[in-house]
Amino acid sequence: MADVSVKTNPKQSRSMLEVAVDKIWRFFTSVRNAVYEIAFLTLLVLIGTLRGSSVPQWIADTIPALQPLVDRWYAWDVWRSSLFAITLAIIAVAIVICTLNRLPGIWTTITNPKVSTSRGFLRGAETNAVYTLTGTHEDILGSIERVLKGKRYRVLTERVGDETHFYADKNRFSNLGTFPFHIGLILILVGGIVASVYGFRDNEFIIPEGSRRNVGHGTGLSVELNRFRDNWSAVGVPIDYVSDITVYEDGRPVKSGSVRVNGPLSYGNATFYQSSFGIAAHLTIVDSSGNMVFSDAVDLGLFTKRDNPDQPAGVARLPQENAQLVVIGPDSDPFNAPELDTMQLQSGQLWVSLESLGESTDVTGSGGEGVVLTQGQPTRVGDYTVTFEREGRFSVLQVGYNPGIPIFIISVFWVLGGLIITFYFPHRRVRGIISDGPDGTTASIAPLAKRDWSGKREFFTLVEKWNETLGTKPAIRLPANATDYDYLRAHENDAGI
Amino acid sequence: MDGLVRFSFYAFAASSMAIIAAAIAYVVFGVGRVRVLRQTLATSTGHTVTSSQLHQEAGPIGFARWGLMLTWFGMFFAGVAIVTRWIAAGHFPISNMYEYSLVFLFSITLMYIVFERAYGVRQLGAIVMPIAAGMTLYIWSLDPNMREVNPLIPALQAGWIMPFHVGSFNLAYATFAVAFAAAILFLVAERTNAKWLPSAEMLDDVAFRAVSVGFPLFTLGLILGSVWAHDAWGVYWQWDPKETAALFTWLVYGVYLHTRTLRGWRGRRSAYVLLFGFAATAFTYYGNYFFGGLHAYGGV
Repeated sequence: MADVSVKTNPKQSRSMLEVAVDKIWRFFTSVRNAVYEIAFLTLLVLIGTLRGSSVPQWIADTIPALQPLVDRWYAWDVWRSSLFAITLAIIAVAIVICTLNRLPGIWTTITNPKVSTSRGFLRGAETNAVYTLTGTHEDILGSIERVLKGKRYRVLTERVGDETHFYADKNRFSNLGTFPFHIGLILILVGGIVASVYGFRDNEFIIPEGSRRNVGHGTGLSVELNRFRDNWSAVGVPIDYVSDITVYEDGRPVKSGSVRVNGPLSYGNATFYQSSFGIAAHLTIVDSSGNMVFSDAVDLGLFTKRDNPDQPAGVARLPQENAQLVVIGPDSDPFNAPELDTMQLQSGQLWVSLESLGESTDVTGSGGEGVVLTQGQPTRVGDYTVTFEREGRFSVLQVGYNPGIPIFIISVFWVLGGLIITFYFPHRRVRGIISDGPDGTTASIAPLAKRDWSGKREFFTLVEKWNETLGTKPAIRLPANATDYDYLRAHENDAGI
Repeated sequence: MDGLVRFSFYAFAASSMAIIAAAIAYVVFGVGRVRVLRQTLATSTGHTVTSSQLHQEAGPIGFARWGLMLTWFGMFFAGVAIVTRWIAAGHFPISNMYEYSLVFLFSITLMYIVFERAYGVRQLGAIVMPIAAGMTLYIWSLDPNMREVNPLIPALQAGWIMPFHVGSFNLAYATFAVAFAAAILFLVAERTNAKWLPSAEMLDDVAFRAVSVGFPLFTLGLILGSVWAHDAWGVYWQWDPKETAALFTWLVYGVYLHTRTLRGWRGRRSAYVLLFGFAATAFTYYGNYFFGGLHAYGGV
């Protein structure tokens, strides 16, 4: 009986973890998936953008059955949704993994490209140029090289048997341009996250003229509006408005300056931006014991009377009294819907109504009992004496601290630099073989420009220069679209073309 | 109107006439002409047989040359209109849709001339110049009060940032119009193999080059807008509808750039993405008409 031994070669099996990592890696490095991810993000951005327009309602008006869907559309805050955040996160992870995946190959192309080529490549290229020459390989290569170096190409050569192979390229480092661009995009996201976690923002920091307000947010700062100035054009459009402020830190004045639109003022971890402004009424409120419980400006205009939007309104809060005073000013545009002005307040008058603190502010004035104040005249309102001292202004500032700004600035340079390098310095390559044949020495050269019209055009400018240097014209393998190239149209009657 | 403002308007009127005439010339050239080739054959029975063949070819080259010359005039007069209005207003004129569209007229004619010189594809004019002509008609339809120069509202008093922010977008939109035209011609060339059109490969290259110019410009516009937003409002992105519409357009062209490296997507599908991209561009351009938000001070 033969002694049979069975050689086993156990198939190397991968662990489930390796398989999973490999699948995840392929998912994130797939350009096809990247296209789908970006397309999905684009769709979310479109949905969120239209939410800020009347387009969804127009859709519902056209197809009433879609009204419930449109209502949900308007109600869905896309930008703060988990779906949006997850999509951004997936794209960010894909960028990182793609970068890690592509970097080694690109670095090899830059530092150590394959020089030798094959005749199959040269024959199969969409176009090529074959020169038949006399001379040594060194002389011919030198002529070819001179032209290439004149056009900023790097030239690498290799002897393969009796042949001289060469590889030439320019703008090789532009292959790296995609990395700073994509990483810059991630940095923008990082900057946004840093700002939202470690920064703060107050969109409506209101200060009446002559008043001081605390900034809060742990800054220890307060701001006094010394003066508000504005300039108007002849057609009633504001052309400038400026808040002259003093910043206090722990009660001490530390900085004074002006804040205007596009001209913020910074101190410490706070920057003040001019947003808007309005009218304020300076009131004093004295209780029945003669104690002053309120002496400050009430900004009018952040609210309006509910049944007359031309009447500015405000609220003076008296937390220690568990009360608030609703204040309504005169109609600012008496010619617009005069029938709505039921109060008929004159200049220098205000309508006020006392309410409990926290009660929903009824700024209609229509149901509540109110009292008309005349400027300078103390008037009894409930248990208090209220005096309308004078009219003033209030400024609405925005206050914020954004620690993500340095990250954003760095990312800007990366994004723009990456784009410029990628698009304006395309990587161009040619390969060639110089060999001896029965008719002399031939130099066969082809560009790496598959479906790249500009690459082939550049190749033909090199051919033009080689013709001058080598003193002869090559046989050209015509691309399918030969008439698109100036060189080929100019030389269409030349032998070999 | 102030004398200089009136002069600016007349320069715009001259520009619009030149651009409309250029559009007509390019369309005549681009549509081409149909020649009927007739062949008569004598048969062995003594009868004759006549066959007619329709043969399409490019229009007379003279129309394209006229079109280019008129485009140069259109660009020059639009430039005069902008400069004179700039002097009259004391600021770069992009504070309302009249001024913004006037600058776009200059941009689109400039970009068209650049690409025609670079590639020699005159048929692009048959699409780009009608877009420019449409823009001139849009400008004529605007409220005449927009032709008056008014002081800038405080939000638009931003020094150098405003012209560079708006100008970057303007130039980007113009190059996207060229890419749109190239995409249409690509689809025609690919389907019909028309001999009077350049190859689909060349047109694909034109479209890609246009986007490779426009996309960085568009990105610059977004970045400058963020810088300006930070100076004005303390935050560099507020999810304002005009901002997100611009982001939407930017992402569409981002999709396009990725599809060009994807097997099966390069070529026809990429061209369709460009058509959609131009629709997105128009959506962003005219967004002020239906968006509220922080950019709603364009005088629309």
